[in-house]
Amino acid sequence: MEAAAIPAPAAQDDHHHGPPVANQSSRVNSEVLGILLFIISEIMLFGAFFAAYFFIRVVNADGWPPGAGLPVAVAATNAAILLSSSVTMHWTDVSAKRGNQAGMRIGIVTTFLLGCTFLFIQINEYLHLGFTPKTSASASVFFGLTGLHGAHVIIGLLLLWMSAVRIFKGKVGPANYKGLEVPGIYWHFVDAMWIVVFTTIYVL
Amino acid sequence: MASKIRQAGWYRALAFTILGIAVCIGLSTGLRAAFGLNPVYDGTAVLQISLLMVPIFFLGGIGCFDYWLRWASGRKVVDDHADHGAKSWKDYFKVNTDHKVIGIQYICVSFFFMFVGGLMAMLVRAELAAPGRQFVDPNTYNGLFSVHATLLIFLFVIPVFAGIANYVLPLMIGAPDMAFPRLNALSFWMLPLAGVMMLLSFLAPGGSFAAGWTAYAPLSVDAPIGQAFFTIAVQFAGASSIATALNFLVTIITMRAPGMTFFRMPLLVWANFSTSLLVVIATPFIAASQFMVLLDRALGFNFFNPAGGGDVLMYQHVFWFYSHPAVYIMMLPGFGIISEVLATRARKPVFGYRMMAFSLLAIVLLGFTVWAHHMFVSGMPNWVRIPMMATTAIIAIPTGIKIFSWVATLWRGVLKMDTPMLWATGFIAMFTLGGISGVMLAMVPLDIHVSDTYFIVAHIHYVLFGGSLFTIFAGIYFWFPKMTGRMFNEKLGKIHFWLTFVFFNLTFAPMHLIGVQGMPRRVSDYAEQFATWNMIISISSFILGLSSLIFLYNMVASWRSGPKASSNPWNSLTIEWQVSSPPPIFNFDTIPSVVGGPYEYGVPGAVHAIVGDPAKDLVPAGAGATEGHS
Amino acid sequence: MWVSLAAIIVVASAIGIGIMLAISWFPAQGSNVAPKIDTFWNVLIVVSVPIFVSVVTMMLFSIWRWRQRPGEEGLDGPPIHGSTKLEVIWTIIPTIIIAALSTYAAILLLDIQAAPAKGTRVVNVNGIQFAWNFETKTDAGPVKSNLLYLPVNEPVTFDIRSKDVIHAFWVPAFRMQVDAVPGITTSYSLTPTKVGSFDIVCAELCGLGHAYMRSTVTVLPPARYKAVMAGLAHASAAVGGSK
Repeated sequence: MEAAAIPAPAAQDDHHHGPPVANQSSRVNSEVLGILLFIISEIMLFGAFFAAYFFIRVVNADGWPPGAGLPVAVAATNAAILLSSSVTMHWTDVSAKRGNQAGMRIGIVTTFLLGCTFLFIQINEYLHLGFTPKTSASASVFFGLTGLHGAHVIIGLLLLWMSAVRIFKGKVGPANYKGLEVPGIYWHFVDAMWIVVFTTIYVL
Repeated sequence: MASKIRQAGWYRALAFTILGIAVCIGLSTGLRAAFGLNPVYDGTAVLQISLLMVPIFFLGGIGCFDYWLRWASGRKVVDDHADHGAKSWKDYFKVNTDHKVIGIQYICVSFFFMFVGGLMAMLVRAELAAPGRQFVDPNTYNGLFSVHATLLIFLFVIPVFAGIANYVLPLMIGAPDMAFPRLNALSFWMLPLAGVMMLLSFLAPGGSFAAGWTAYAPLSVDAPIGQAFFTIAVQFAGASSIATALNFLVTIITMRAPGMTFFRMPLLVWANFSTSLLVVIATPFIAASQFMVLLDRALGFNFFNPAGGGDVLMYQHVFWFYSHPAVYIMMLPGFGIISEVLATRARKPVFGYRMMAFSLLAIVLLGFTVWAHHMFVSGMPNWVRIPMMATTAIIAIPTGIKIFSWVATLWRGVLKMDTPMLWATGFIAMFTLGGISGVMLAMVPLDIHVSDTYFIVAHIHYVLFGGSLFTIFAGIYFWFPKMTGRMFNEKLGKIHFWLTFVFFNLTFAPMHLIGVQGMPRRVSDYAEQFATWNMIISISSFILGLSSLIFLYNMVASWRSGPKASSNPWNSLTIEWQVSSPPPIFNFDTIPSVVGGPYEYGVPGAVHAIVGDPAKDLVPAGAGATEGHS
Repeated sequence: MWVSLAAIIVVASAIGIGIMLAISWFPAQGSNVAPKIDTFWNVLIVVSVPIFVSVVTMMLFSIWRWRQRPGEEGLDGPPIHGSTKLEVIWTIIPTIIIAALSTYAAILLLDIQAAPAKGTRVVNVNGIQFAWNFETKTDAGPVKSNLLYLPVNEPVTFDIRSKDVIHAFWVPAFRMQVDAVPGITTSYSLTPTKVGSFDIVCAELCGLGHAYMRSTVTVLPPARYKAVMAGLAHASAAVGGSK
């Protein structure tokens, strides 16, 4: 009838044991699932700014591009830089799985430097555009979208820096690369998002 | 003293906060000097940067980032289980990774803000008791209802559901904790920061934020600095919500006990799964809407400035794209709670389990297609309004399926009408009313008349108070013995229910009438013709407010000295009831095995899960004996 | 049992509908749109009351009939997991009701929003914090005023604008409401059908003075209207006329 009442255990009991190991009810790795879900929420954040772009450029027809024109070539160069950094990031990942310490070190540093170059070029571009967010709504959308992306590049660079520290201290290897894979996925997202931003803002 | 500051905790949090303010002053003056702005020290600029950055310093000080930073720096990290769980009340004021501790932290903080927000409602009703000015000037009044709504939505309803789920869900699926316990702790600590920020806005020059919880542009862009407290606090509350949802999704997908297929999960798990999907996908839109307002306010962007080519209505589209799903975020976990309470107290399986699960998913999907029904009178063309009317009305169908299924669950059961059951059945009646007024509002020709009137206020409160809050009370009473190891006072629980039920209806039912008759919402004063009803509503609301004190007393007194509760006072089948009350620190010695559905009442010897060592335990948890009456 | 339940539901619904229809919900019917909205409301009531009554009756009946009696503490209910037939019924019937109501609402909406005839009088409504300004072109010249005057039984189109924040132009007696949004012009058209004075209310939070942003629309017989507007046109011209 009733389940036998289970008494509360004495306070000290459990510390000897620690928690039981959770059952794996899915083949999906939890950290990877976590970062993918986070990226979904980030995509939605960008989505809201793309919605703003749609309202201001298409619905309101405020006038595009803002200012005299956008430096498409510079942005395209930046896209190439970021794409390359994704390649080097992937190489870093592969090196980790193979235990190639030198490969990891070169890979992560190159990725980081490429990311910094992107940021440097972007900031330089901002200073020479000839318009500011105050100029118009189109200008605001331009700065909003590229600035949002730039903020994510900075977050990505922080994650890469932390990964670099761990790599150089020898903490990353074939048995232990989740801590690199997760920032890597984030970095690929930052790269992919730039392609979308670039195409929408500069090309279309 | 030095060691106190070096350890994670309140002393260090205070020190870091002061450091953070100093950094913000430096950053602000530095940037302003670099851009050649005068004066170099500007209080508003410092405040805006501080609102964004100081909370992060606090979070670092209290200890949310210690482990991660240590790991990131390549130093050795040890998962120290000695810190897990609460041994004294002080542990509840620290960073703790035990989902049971975090759950209680969430629940207590949320109820604190409920009482604060509820008090503001009392002040609002005091002002509205008679025409003319009673106690507060219009600006303060606008601030009161704005902060009331914002606190109750972001600091009470959304997080208290997260707290209840945080406590119950891992136990219910047979997991030792959540997938990311440290992230869980961080999620919690962002919450009181958001709440304190909102309350601090009352001290800002110009008063608290006062543009409603909806903060429409351009009113929110033009408003004094108090508005920024809303803009930024919402970001922290939103981040907390997203992180928790992410945690729930990964936990549910990857950590269920063996044998717990998706269709053997209790409906509370389904409900939180659905809610978490909504949170992850929709919440970034409110973050974005507030970012845009912040950029317009602080840096002169033109998102919502028509003179600069901006689009005022765009704010509403972006805002409501989150805020409509938000109302489902505020209701779906409650639906899960009701299913658990009804099945257990009616001793019957939930009727139509599969459709109950699918209807949750249907509401999630449909919930994204209806946002513009909040904008029917904003000047939108009919080609948007008519489809939005259709989708809004369609949501009534999965919701109706749930209501009918709950009533069918009661049918022919053995109904124990104790406190949790009273709240659950009261919910069914009140939410049906709220849902009906919702379908009425979906009909554009009617909405054109009653938009932004007290009819809307009535609808909101029937679904959020008669809906969400009733389910919250049901859940708190239901899981109180599990969380505290003690039983609440049943008599006081019943008194609490009946007082609330009666005075809730007396407060909010008349609002339907005065709304249709012509009283707009968000007004500190109104036409003479509405005076009598407003007085009746105000007096009822005061008694309603007082009745919540009975709940508070019951909870505190019972927690301290109520009779000890057994592991399974409700004789329920789900896993959380198969461990002690309160549960052991690590939940289980060995992970349970799920062997059947969660609601197999009426089947002699049916078992949902085998918990603990079968050799050691006396008898596995089972259903009651023969079925009752026909 | 089923017969008594059905009887209870029918009787309670009838009483409920009777009470709800007897309540005087709306202010005076001041426009051609008002009777249509009021009828629609009555239809909604007639449909809603039985739904609510049914749910609550079945629930209260269950509580009364199957309440746990002394001695039944250890008993369970029967293991009924569902009934496909019932689920189909309670999915299809609400779908039909929703479809019917939505169709009615859509037709009604298109009717009340029908484009006004050419030459319909236009009143420019400007919302500012915290007052309404009305501007009408008359034969006697433009009339600017904080109070609105309209001739009875003549169609009018309101073009609504705002210079500062969002307001909402609502005349409860007319049953029509639309936001005044900075940067765009919103509008609606109707025909006032009743002589009298009716409230104009701002229905969108616009700041400190939101509660006080009220005015009055006075609907007059045509001859009287002409006279009043002539007088106001004279006064507007004298003041100088610019915004």
